[in-house]
Amino acid sequence: MQKKTEKEFKKKSFFFEDYTESEINYNEKNLNIVKISSSRVTLLSYIFFSLILIFCLKITYLLTIPEVNKFSEKEDHIFLKSRADIVDRNGIILARNTNIYTAGIRPKFIKNKEKFLLDFRLKFPEIDKKNLKSKINKGEFFYLENKRLTEEQKDKLWSLGLSHKVLELKKIQHRIYPQKKLFSHVIGQIDDSNLGISGIEKFLDKNLKNKKLIENSLELTLDSNLQHIIRDELIKSKKDFNQIGSAALLMDINNGQILSLVSLPDYDLNKRSSIKEHIYTNKITKGVYELGSVFKTFTIAAGIENNVIQPDTIFKNLENQVYCAGRKISEHDKLPKNLSVEQILIRSSNIGSIKIAQNIGLNKYKKFLNSLGLFQKINFDLEEIGKPLSFKWGKCKLATASFGHGITTTPLQLAKAYAILSNGGYKIEPTILLNKKKTFSEKEQIVSSTTSDKINKILRKVVFNKEGTANFADVKGYEVGGKTGSALKSENGIYTSKKLNTFISIFPSSEPKYTLLIILDEPKPAPQYVYEFPNGYKHKGELRNTSGWNSVVVAGKIIEKIGPILAINNLQASKNF
Amino acid sequence: MNTEDKSKKSYINPEKWINTVSYEKSYANPEKWISTVPQRNRYRFSKKYSFFITIFIIGLISVPTIKNKTRNLEKEISNLKTSINDLKFDLHKATLDYEFITSPENISLLAKEHLNIELVHYKKSQIKHINDDYNSISMLTETENNDLYENKISTKIKKKVKKNIKEKKQEIEKIKKLYSNPKELPETIKNQVAKKIKKTKSGLQQLYDEPKEAIDIKKIQRWGTFQVVKAFLGIPVVPGK
Repeated sequence: MQKKTEKEFKKKSFFFEDYTESEINYNEKNLNIVKISSSRVTLLSYIFFSLILIFCLKITYLLTIPEVNKFSEKEDHIFLKSRADIVDRNGIILARNTNIYTAGIRPKFIKNKEKFLLDFRLKFPEIDKKNLKSKINKGEFFYLENKRLTEEQKDKLWSLGLSHKVLELKKIQHRIYPQKKLFSHVIGQIDDSNLGISGIEKFLDKNLKNKKLIENSLELTLDSNLQHIIRDELIKSKKDFNQIGSAALLMDINNGQILSLVSLPDYDLNKRSSIKEHIYTNKITKGVYELGSVFKTFTIAAGIENNVIQPDTIFKNLENQVYCAGRKISEHDKLPKNLSVEQILIRSSNIGSIKIAQNIGLNKYKKFLNSLGLFQKINFDLEEIGKPLSFKWGKCKLATASFGHGITTTPLQLAKAYAILSNGGYKIEPTILLNKKKTFSEKEQIVSSTTSDKINKILRKVVFNKEGTANFADVKGYEVGGKTGSALKSENGIYTSKKLNTFISIFPSSEPKYTLLIILDEPKPAPQYVYEFPNGYKHKGELRNTSGWNSVVVAGKIIEKIGPILAINNLQASKNF
Repeated sequence: MNTEDKSKKSYINPEKWINTVSYEKSYANPEKWISTVPQRNRYRFSKKYSFFITIFIIGLISVPTIKNKTRNLEKEISNLKTSINDLKFDLHKATLDYEFITSPENISLLAKEHLNIELVHYKKSQIKHINDDYNSISMLTETENNDLYENKISTKIKKKVKKNIKEKKQEIEKIKKLYSNPKELPETIKNQVAKKIKKTKSGLQQLYDEPKEAIDIKKIQRWGTFQVVKAFLGIPVVPGK
């Protein structure tokens, strides 16, 4: 048993057998075969792994490269606007880009000119055949008369089966203004290279072309319906008063948002034409004028604010005329000798205003007007901004400035100043951009609220009182207050008999919300016009052409129409019936 | 000595080693030794790589299929996108057209052309008049309604009255026929008529003697209605006139 176990042990003791000479000899015999096979395996594995590595690299590369969708990135199907839309406060489109086509023809490559003309006439019967024929016979490249082709017209042209050599169709983006003339002075125009050349198109050119913001429409504070009503009324007024131009501005006095800005004459934005005539300037923002008696309100406000006067302060023995630097200053009409401050504004007394300004003093008066921002260039959202003319202050200047003579500003600045006086004395910045909101707490108070209240009451009396100069604007239910201004126009530094009539109104006076400014440029007397007073009395054959006889009438008509839209105190209005 | 001899000498003879080991005490169990030796795992390599290979093969197959599917999806998406873009552009143009057509200026022009009336803005005072007119109109309609009601009632009455008149006329005709020949009348009627004559005679006598007592309200009413009926029928109220 012991021997067996020993043998078994010997056999199993591979531990030492591995090192036996016989084993080694045996391995050496097969070593070459093993070596060959192992090298093949390594070669194959190398190939195999290198292939894996290549695939892996390829996969990782495919994973890491940015996704390029070869199918959906066809430019033909995507309309990429080159300029953002412009919309009004109600989302009505005022300007939008769209694709149009231009078609050019090379007559040299037309094989059968007669057939071409016949086909062309069948497809486009409206085209001038003679003109087309002459152009084709000339043989020079030309664009079709109607440069801007619609999609349908383009398809019609394609259906003619003309070769690319003959017909050159070009797709371009074009800016369309669906409201045509309505906002011409505000929106402005762009040129062929998509560059804003006037209006808000120029002022916000970069924003409108910003690719990040291009899908968001530029929202304006303007209201298309109000704008149309006001513009329409101004156009109609031309028949009655035959003015050479007119302008209107409707503004929210609490936040400075402009609801309507009209300047006539205007122009169709869709028809490109260079407008160089002075008459086409934006009268509200660019026009710098002497606006006349509307400045008397500032004189009285300055007096009340500086505690120099009160509405019931009476000025006794007022002269009919005074002289300043040899020049006569007189009243526009016969007025009582004793007038209260209130009466001075209601009856629009020049001499009374001079007396108040003299009582205030030059520095205080100047400071007050400056605080209302009447003399510096206004910060506004358009390129077309006028700068009031600078002048030297003196005793005479103080006297004339007190009733709005020899002092200039833009109508926009005038409206701003009135808004400040009426809204409780808070500073506002006129704007046409809807996103430019400012909260009331951010506002700076320039004039005290007591002065503001007093001024509002006096302005209401200018319209409501029989002696007032603006009776025709007393629209029932809207508590209109305001001030008239009839200024003489100067040409080459000499005053002419031509007038620039202004009426600035605020309504409703008890809680002012809006200011409406109406300007008529050179209105004529309207003897044919039947004036209807608030008490029902009708008057015809009037030969005066001061503001009270034209601008006020127009303002009254406008307020009557826009009142229900603005929905001011409708309840109050209904209570009156 | 050459190198082979040296290697032979230094070669360990296992027999020698085995003899040196005490057989009983230090008997080494080979099983134990075998188990202690780390066995060479022949399958580990192939297992390890086969796993990766299978994944790789699966990957190789799935990548193109997925890619093809995604390509098809991309095509579909692109088609949808193009149709969406076309629709978007159509909408873009349509809204522009809409704004042009519905611009206030255009609407007023169209109204002038097609409505044949000028749109008028009403004054507040006119609204008041409208209210007044409305009130008067409403009052008018009320009265009209009342008249209608009365007319309706009267037609009913008229019909009834007409019927009654017809009946009465027929009765009168019959009576006329009867009284035209008093001899042919039956005895009972003759007696009735005699009684009636007596009654009226006595009544007339009473009226003659005491006229105030003879007139009472009932009689007056009866007389009144009789007169009205007479007037309606065209019979003279005062006989002979």
